[in-house]
Amino acid sequence: MSEWRHHAPEAGAQITNGLDFEDLFENAPCGYLVADGDGRLLRTNRTFAEWIGLDPRDLPGMRMTELLTVPGKIFYETHFAPTLRMRGRLSEIALDFVTADQRKIPALVNAVESSGGTEAGPQLRFTVFPAVKRRGYEQDLIDARAKAEATIVTERADGELREQFIAVLGHDLRNPLASITSGIQMLAKESLSERGQKITALMNGSVVRAAGLIDNVLDFARGRLGGGITLSLSSREPLEPVLRQVVAELRSVSPGREIAARYELPDPVTCDHVRIGQLLSNLLGNALTHGAKDQPVRIDATTAHGELIIAVSNGGAPIPAAALEKLFQPFFRGHDRVRQGLGLGLHIASEIARAHGGTLIARSDEVATTFVFTMPLCGVGADQK
Amino acid sequence: MNARVAGSGARTMMFAHGYGCDQNMWRFVAPAFAPDFRTVVFDYVGAGGSDLSAYDPVRYGSLDGYADDVIALARALGVKDGVFVGHSVSAMIGLIAARRAPELFSTLVLIGPSPCYINDADYVGGFSQAQIDELLEFLDSNHMAWSQAMAPVIMGNADRPELGEELAASFCQVDPEIARRFARVTFLTDSRADIGSIDARVLILQCREDVIAPPSVGEYVQGAIPGSELVLLDAIGHCPNLSAPGATIAAIRAFV
Repeated sequence: MSEWRHHAPEAGAQITNGLDFEDLFENAPCGYLVADGDGRLLRTNRTFAEWIGLDPRDLPGMRMTELLTVPGKIFYETHFAPTLRMRGRLSEIALDFVTADQRKIPALVNAVESSGGTEAGPQLRFTVFPAVKRRGYEQDLIDARAKAEATIVTERADGELREQFIAVLGHDLRNPLASITSGIQMLAKESLSERGQKITALMNGSVVRAAGLIDNVLDFARGRLGGGITLSLSSREPLEPVLRQVVAELRSVSPGREIAARYELPDPVTCDHVRIGQLLSNLLGNALTHGAKDQPVRIDATTAHGELIIAVSNGGAPIPAAALEKLFQPFFRGHDRVRQGLGLGLHIASEIARAHGGTLIARSDEVATTFVFTMPLCGVGADQK
Repeated sequence: MNARVAGSGARTMMFAHGYGCDQNMWRFVAPAFAPDFRTVVFDYVGAGGSDLSAYDPVRYGSLDGYADDVIALARALGVKDGVFVGHSVSAMIGLIAARRAPELFSTLVLIGPSPCYINDADYVGGFSQAQIDELLEFLDSNHMAWSQAMAPVIMGNADRPELGEELAASFCQVDPEIARRFARVTFLTDSRADIGSIDARVLILQCREDVIAPPSVGEYVQGAIPGSELVLLDAIGHCPNLSAPGATIAAIRAFV
């Protein structure tokens, strides 16, 4: 169909400067159609007539749309013709022509509207380039895109379901955990042997860790499901007791570790106290897990210059620069996969920081690895206005 | 909706474009009525210079959403007893709007209306369901055509001064995805239940030859709306407002 034959020039052809224009038109390496302003064909070249399988003498008088498939007709009438009328030209339009034996020729069409120097009104000129393979290739791309989009939709639904599952599971795990906690508390009131006291203390540490993990998982799932981190802001309660409580809890479950905390919090802070406690718990838990066991973990909580700053630092090997960038991504875990848990703690901490209109940054060198949380004392309100 | 108001007159004449284009469709027609009417042309959300971010697939998933916009625009402009000129799918949108808010338009001009493009038993809409499905698929392959950058526009107008230099380079520029959705609504909606007796005076303009809305469909619409008038324009194609503006203007003027 894209075969193109050269025909001998007609007898008596007009030759100008060595160019036979009649031949240039008739046997051009593209289909050439000339129509009146209404799209009625005035003349077509031989190349096009051969592609379409019609006698060139039968084409004049036909409507441009008669040569097109039904979608082509509709597109031509609703977009192509009006646009050509208004813009004067169009290029690279995909149209499908129908041959005399009902085959479809996918083509690309360029068109211009020209006054043509005639009194008969504007003239439309079309050049037609069959593009079977190109259009086929484009169709493949369109199909592939549609398939990819469909896959994404399914995956997203699956992901949502998974996260809902996590949320429900996390929620349901809290109840038995609460029973274990009260059981441990009741046991602690009994007169236990030294060994018994040691075991209940260890059990209590495990419960605290498990509860922390569940909180993080729930927050993460909620964030993914669109709930985000929700805050209940208050400036009435002092922050220090909350922070002290967190430190005491982790100290009790980390025997043999030195935790040095300094609190300098003279100004009230508008924040979600439970969330800031969770943030510190996550940072401190991270420092205790990854810091060198023989070096202290330092906590520095201060309010100054309109800001709350909580810094948590530990000694030990520095975090490589590449890993430092990814620390706050969910499920990020370094080389030490066994010790690291889910990799949600720092992510949740950074989300809590963000929800408070604050920042959480990490820096690490040979001396220490430090996480610094900073937020405005007046809370998020100032930012959100 | 990127509406433009011009002209002066007690009555308002509102022009609504069809599928595939924008308010520029009325370039040769609307100015003719400016001396006697307040004229309003606009782009539907998703077309031309409208705010694409306002496009809501659910709201515009049926012609009702578009009719709501026509009503809202007309009310915002304080239209009463106005003339609504709707081309192609806008003919149906106008009928829905006029039925829902009868005080807005007392005259409807329907250009190339079709209440249903798909053949159904005795009704001949012109297309089969399969052909319309094929159209929706085909539109994807002309993704670029919808948003083609228009550098050569001015050049192309050199020998056609009637278009004017300021012709928006964005003529008929439509977001491809929205064009596809609008095509779905336009060509798959069966509005035959929405036409029928209506208080407004109705003029139907039908082209002599039109593959989108053939004369038989124009006659069907006239038969379905009691008291409506049908004028057959000596024009070819689906857009007499562009290809035969003179005849279109004359027919509208004679009716209003």
